[in-house]
Amino acid sequence: MEITAQRSLQEKLHILADAAKYDVACTSSGVDRRGKKGYLGNSAACGICHSFASDGRCVSLLKILLTNHCIYDCKYCMNRVSNDIVREEFTPREICEITMEFYRRNYIEGLFLSSGVLRNPVYTMERICETLHLLRTVYRFNGYIHVKAIPGAPEELIARVGYLADRMSINLELPTEEGMKRLAPNKTHAAILRPMRMMTNTIAEHRLAIGKDARMERSTSNRYLQQSIFRNPHVEELHTATPSYIEGGKTVRAVVAENTVYGSNTAYGSPPEIQHRLEVPAAERRGFEQRPFATAGQSTQMIIGATQETDFHLLKTTQYLYQTYDLKRVFFSAYVPLNEDSVLPSPDTPVPLLREHRLYQADWLLRFYGFQADELLSTERPNFNEQLDPKCDWALRHLEQFPVEINTAPYDLLLRIPGVGPRSATRIIQARRYGKLDFSHLKKMGVVLKRAHYFILCQGQMMYKIPVEEEYITRQLVGSERTENWKIAHGDQSFHQMSLFDDFHIKAPGTEVQV
Amino acid sequence: MTIFTCGTDFAEMMTCIYDAWASKLGHANVRLMLEPVEQTELFCDYIHVAPDEEKTGRVIRSIQQKISFEAYQWVYRAAMSCDKERLDTIYRFLIFGFAYGKDVLHMLSAQPVARMLELSRRVGNEAHFFREFARFDRAAGGVYVSHIEPKANVLTIVAAHFADRMPSEHWLLIDDGRRLAAAHPRDEAFYVTELAEEELEKLRETERQEDIYTHMWQEFFDTIGIEARRNPCCQRTLMPLWYRKHVTEFRQKQS
Repeated sequence: MEITAQRSLQEKLHILADAAKYDVACTSSGVDRRGKKGYLGNSAACGICHSFASDGRCVSLLKILLTNHCIYDCKYCMNRVSNDIVREEFTPREICEITMEFYRRNYIEGLFLSSGVLRNPVYTMERICETLHLLRTVYRFNGYIHVKAIPGAPEELIARVGYLADRMSINLELPTEEGMKRLAPNKTHAAILRPMRMMTNTIAEHRLAIGKDARMERSTSNRYLQQSIFRNPHVEELHTATPSYIEGGKTVRAVVAENTVYGSNTAYGSPPEIQHRLEVPAAERRGFEQRPFATAGQSTQMIIGATQETDFHLLKTTQYLYQTYDLKRVFFSAYVPLNEDSVLPSPDTPVPLLREHRLYQADWLLRFYGFQADELLSTERPNFNEQLDPKCDWALRHLEQFPVEINTAPYDLLLRIPGVGPRSATRIIQARRYGKLDFSHLKKMGVVLKRAHYFILCQGQMMYKIPVEEEYITRQLVGSERTENWKIAHGDQSFHQMSLFDDFHIKAPGTEVQV
Repeated sequence: MTIFTCGTDFAEMMTCIYDAWASKLGHANVRLMLEPVEQTELFCDYIHVAPDEEKTGRVIRSIQQKISFEAYQWVYRAAMSCDKERLDTIYRFLIFGFAYGKDVLHMLSAQPVARMLELSRRVGNEAHFFREFARFDRAAGGVYVSHIEPKANVLTIVAAHFADRMPSEHWLLIDDGRRLAAAHPRDEAFYVTELAEEELEKLRETERQEDIYTHMWQEFFDTIGIEARRNPCCQRTLMPLWYRKHVTEFRQKQS
């Protein structure tokens, strides 16, 4: 029996934000859109965070679920059908009102709408679509919208939502089919990758139609990087890079081929369903197709630590998703134990925060620094070094390439120096045309000399007289990073002097505070 | 040494640069300073410069034409910073700028250019923080009022962002420290005005009121953090305490 109670809007918001908080993506980036008279909102490609929650994650969008009713039973999820929790549902109008008023007060940059599966995927997706349509047309909202596609929803509905939202995402959840079977019995990779593929195709087609490149924009540094994962993907290259555990062999071949030559599937005969693109029926097109389709692209997320994958496995999958599905971002979500279940890790497992951090660092190396997953990890070394970040780790294994002369080194090599990022590398390239650079100049340009000085030369000199030896540098770097790493792994465990007054609430006589 | 001094207004600074340059005393023999001059030095002449519209226009035009528009943006942002030496830094930068043209922005090994980049970046970053952390409250008549207290004078930069973001709303962005306000009537351009003490006092009221949306936002904010990942240290790095002064979710709850 279900007990229904009239809850206030605030209580509903509490329930449905609480249910949505484990979704990772809260970025408002990827699209530049000016404001319009009569409408509310604009959008900045760099993304704007509006606050930072107590866990240090950015709050950029109003992240809520449409409902936390769910017919599925994914083991790791708080909203699974077998959990006895308070269930609630927003009406589309309520969501619109809250979004508009929060946006006007500059609390948020837009809406992140996800949902549990209510009744069936079709009905849920219809409700999401209705909400977005109302928000865009009646409420004239011009800000950012990120929406989750529900696996199993009909194509037509996903298409409609794509025209209303800026970013679409569909969660891959777990990188292996086997893990999916165990932890998310109602979902399959096929049901997730199919809409993902269709969205990729539709986005590409829209980009071509307005004269852009079929693939999403990437950081400009990738243009100058020979090894960048976004550079000229050849069929062979991709084919060897494809982890076969994602899909059955045949599908993978088809997907890869189709990706290289958009539209014309001559190389391999691909199954008809993935040639498909998303379309809204002609009769209902008004108000939909005037907007571009998911301008900010699509993203996905994977849970780490719930099953036994290695970092190598995860990173390969990430690279594969960037290359073949042209995703804008892949997010990682450190597994937080919520439910007790025999197939899940025990409830007292610590949240793998440092591991998540290392994966994000590696993700950045793929997207901005021209690294490949194979360079960072291998089957022999499948996990990241806990003590060193992936870039330092790589540099230490390739000391034959160092030290690098700052005044002459090419851009791609500059980017591989620990402590040098895309910005400082660009500044170095520009500045050295007008004069020789010195360590003091580098410091002003934002190079982190603490890490970089082991690997660089300025006019033939190192900063200090040190041996370029793996063991020595490792020791130095590990020593200086230790506190940082500990802080990431143990977020809140700070120690302080015990005090009778604060810890045991003992009050000294005569110091009562009048409230 | 001759020292040209002026007030902190952008027009005053530009006029000061013009006069110092036109004095033909030689760049090494002049220095520019902002008023108030706290301690005067021996063997220095102090010349006060009053703002002049034409001279200001000429300086702005030369920067844009002889160097580049981006250089002008650097100059504007640096002039808005709270660094005491900013005016002299801009002057030294312009000496390089007029000599080398638009390439000057890349000459980071030259000390004045590196210093300019630092100033302009710092102001740009602070403006971005206030784009993120400015909070509006709904006052009577549907006017949205926000209070900020930036270190640098970023009011106009931040207001330009909100003018694009909320073109069809009445809003008021107030710099409490400088008693300046950017007012934006619905569907019109915004303008900057100075506020009297009484006006400001009255407008402070908007921060004390609460309504259903401030409560809902606080509720949302408290809910969205994951307890198992609690990390106030990281939160403080990303959102330093001094920015939180006027931020709704960190206000003391009254009930």
